[in-house]
Amino acid sequence: MVNYGGDEVSALVIDIGTSSLRAGYAGDDTPKAIIPTSYGFHPPQPDTDVVMSDNTAENPEQPAEKPKFSKIYIGQSGPSMWRAGMEIGNPLENGLIRDFNPIKPLIEHAINKVMLCNSAEHPILVTEPTWNTPANRERMAEIMFEDFNVPAFYIANTGVLNAFAAGKGSALVIDVGQSMASVTPVVDGFVLRKGLAYSPLPKLVYAQARHLITAPTQHRRGVELIPHQLIASKLPVDVGAMPKFTFREDRIAGTTESWRNWAEAREVDEWVQTVAGVLEQGWNDQQAAQRPARQYEFPTGYNAYYGSDRFVVGEQFFTHSPALIASNPNLPKSIPQLITEALRACDPELRQVIMGNVVLTGGGTLFSGLADRLSNELARTFPHAKIHAPGNPIERRYGGWLGGSILASLGTFHQLWISREEWQEHGKPIVGQRCK
Amino acid sequence: MAASAADIRSALSIPESSTPAAPQPKKSTAAARKPEGISRELYSLIGPSAPSLAAQLAKPRLKQKPKFGGAGAKVRWELRAFKNPARSDSLELRHWEKVTPDGPSEYPFSKYSVQPNTYTYSQDEYTRFLEDKEWTKEETDYLFSVVQDYDSRWYIIHDRYEYPNDPQRSLEDLRDRYYSVCRKLIRHRPWAGDDLAKAALVSSFQFDKEREVMRKKYITSLENRTPDQIAEEEALYVEVKRLEHNERKFKRDRESLLRILAGIDSGLPDIVEDDGVPLGITGDASNTKAKKKKGGQTTDLDSPATPSVASLPASKRPHSTKNAAYDSQHCITRTEVPSTSVATKAAHQPAYLRSFKLPTPKAAIAPKISQSLAELGVKHTRLVMPTRENVHRLEALMEATTSLVETKRVVDKVDYDIQVLKTRLGLREQSHSANGGEAKIEGGDSMDIDNSQVGDAENEEGEGGRGQSVVSVRSGRSRKHPRRSMSVSSVDTASTRAGTKRQKRG
Repeated sequence: MVNYGGDEVSALVIDIGTSSLRAGYAGDDTPKAIIPTSYGFHPPQPDTDVVMSDNTAENPEQPAEKPKFSKIYIGQSGPSMWRAGMEIGNPLENGLIRDFNPIKPLIEHAINKVMLCNSAEHPILVTEPTWNTPANRERMAEIMFEDFNVPAFYIANTGVLNAFAAGKGSALVIDVGQSMASVTPVVDGFVLRKGLAYSPLPKLVYAQARHLITAPTQHRRGVELIPHQLIASKLPVDVGAMPKFTFREDRIAGTTESWRNWAEAREVDEWVQTVAGVLEQGWNDQQAAQRPARQYEFPTGYNAYYGSDRFVVGEQFFTHSPALIASNPNLPKSIPQLITEALRACDPELRQVIMGNVVLTGGGTLFSGLADRLSNELARTFPHAKIHAPGNPIERRYGGWLGGSILASLGTFHQLWISREEWQEHGKPIVGQRCK
Repeated sequence: MAASAADIRSALSIPESSTPAAPQPKKSTAAARKPEGISRELYSLIGPSAPSLAAQLAKPRLKQKPKFGGAGAKVRWELRAFKNPARSDSLELRHWEKVTPDGPSEYPFSKYSVQPNTYTYSQDEYTRFLEDKEWTKEETDYLFSVVQDYDSRWYIIHDRYEYPNDPQRSLEDLRDRYYSVCRKLIRHRPWAGDDLAKAALVSSFQFDKEREVMRKKYITSLENRTPDQIAEEEALYVEVKRLEHNERKFKRDRESLLRILAGIDSGLPDIVEDDGVPLGITGDASNTKAKKKKGGQTTDLDSPATPSVASLPASKRPHSTKNAAYDSQHCITRTEVPSTSVATKAAHQPAYLRSFKLPTPKAAIAPKISQSLAELGVKHTRLVMPTRENVHRLEALMEATTSLVETKRVVDKVDYDIQVLKTRLGLREQSHSANGGEAKIEGGDSMDIDNSQVGDAENEEGEGGRGQSVVSVRSGRSRKHPRRSMSVSSVDTASTRAGTKRQKRG
């Protein structure tokens, strides 16, 4: 037991990201509950406090406490189910929790409904991005202690946790998520805050992909992104031919704009994950043309081949075209720019150390070819750079959770928990003091 | 088997040995411990001589289960609430613990919580020793609190250091201030221990800001090299490695060559290599460089291990004169080094056994010399006692024999010539009268050789038959110098047939 320093006190680890919320027992290698962070809700009825019967079934006290939504739909059958008049919300913005209202139901769902355990019995470790605000973490502590009655709480940095998940105390953590890309230097288990660099780069990639799909070219017609929930039937068609499908006319009226946006974003994501890629050796027209084209079929039945332009999408991670720079004054920084910025803020002595321990993590890094391209880019400027990129997609996507799982199951960690007693005694400042 | 000795005795009908009682009790004890799983009758038949058979007959059993947890006692685990002594509050977490008879022990991980030893100072101490025009007391206080918070991890301290109106302290500024304050505190406070420990403690807080800054600058400049510079550096490094390797190889080759050729082990400690002999693959640059280096070394160090060439004769000369008396007393003779000026490889004379340097006769006349020596009863190939004098005498004898053999040969030759001339004279007188053809004389060259050689062979045979008294000079001569014999008998007459014969022989 003592050999690896583990001492499990059945702590829970909760890692909230833009795309999904991960929760599980500390000491496990995979989160038990992975639920989408996006949630569906019905806005409160303007007229009343009349509680509908199906409301009470799922969330009894919800409408009374939170006037923001009369009903909330969470989990795998939450936002992805079409419901008349259902709006979609996401509590996160730029990796930070902007709206704390749905946080409680989300965590509740993960712990009580999926993991089937009682939060009052388990110490809980929550993760936060490096650029989290003190107010945010204090709010999180408050939710945990007041709403979930946890015996102990701790909030840890995802950068540090990712480094721990890779087994490193000092590292340069490159984390590409759904909405944010960040480069965080970690030294001795602490983040160098001055070296933190982040940008909403994945959003740019998303926008580029969406543009590529929807804008017509001479080879392809523009695609109307219609989610399968709105399609009644479809017929197979030839490549590039007009799709033959029928709408579910009954649903058109009840579809909200936010749900439509969410569903379309999901279609784009699917396309990106299936088709898009990045050239390993840097942009090269010839090479891009040589790569085989990939066929992709949309829910409408329309299908097309995507050739070299599928690599243009991934290129956004590394370089921006001059035209794009000219038209957009504040483009998000590319990954090489972020790395340079992070290193510039570091002590010259440290650069060697952390460049030898580059940790690549986050679901966005599973983008086809990204790891190879990054290692090529780094090798050009830093010949001694060594990249740790777990091949296991679970480890890559949930690195932050995994690090939290490791940390919260260490015997030496248990002295760091903020206990309920301390919370009641010191109040919010204890969070800042304890979680450095 | 213990019984076998007795069995053999009975089988070979050898009478019992002097200790007949010895096997008897042994047998009885062996019979007593009959193994399990074998019947008494069978055991009495086969006796103890089949232990393996007995083992096989043992009761079959299933594979033994491994015993976990020692003595097989059940291990109980219990979900227990525990308190962590490293915490100041009363938080109780629960974990599974092995139930031990002596009850719950203290939390094993609390011992890893080590509080760092930090220094604090009073207002009085600050005003007396710690004043610094760049630092206020408040900021120093803040610095100390941050250092304590982050446990002297300076990169993080520097990262988190945020003092209001902070004049952008560098990492070195912070470290310098902290360590200097600590040093001053240690120096000015009363010290219970000895001075040595105090000095050691002070030195552990030593910090040289200038040096650190310089080091960081070096690191930065190292990082800011352009790819060209890096490539050049790399190339130079490879070149240096190559040169070093070449030099090492050159040295090794030279060493081994000297060992083979000149016997460096036994001979002179240092021998100057002839300049015109570059060894192996070494490039020009490396060669000259190595030379230069070597030259520098020899002039610089005057170590006894590698005396320079110039100092060598000087050091040798007095040695030899001084010990003349000693040498004569101990029968030591010294060979004069034939050094004209510089000891070269060619001139070097290593140590040798005298018996190896016995004079050998010339190959051409060797058999004759050995023959003549054998007549004297002397074996020149091996001296029983090759002392200096003996060797000298043998040499003299050899020389004398050689000259004797040579003289004999000349005498023989002259005799023969005289004879030949006489016969020719006789022939001429005859031809004068008979008036013979000149054509015969023309083709004579090739034939008369044969004639002479045939004569030689005959001579040899004859001499061999004559015994050892006469040294056969002619045969040796004819073998070695056919050309001479040709010239000698240039005017002989013979048949044409013999010409081909000579060619075959030659």
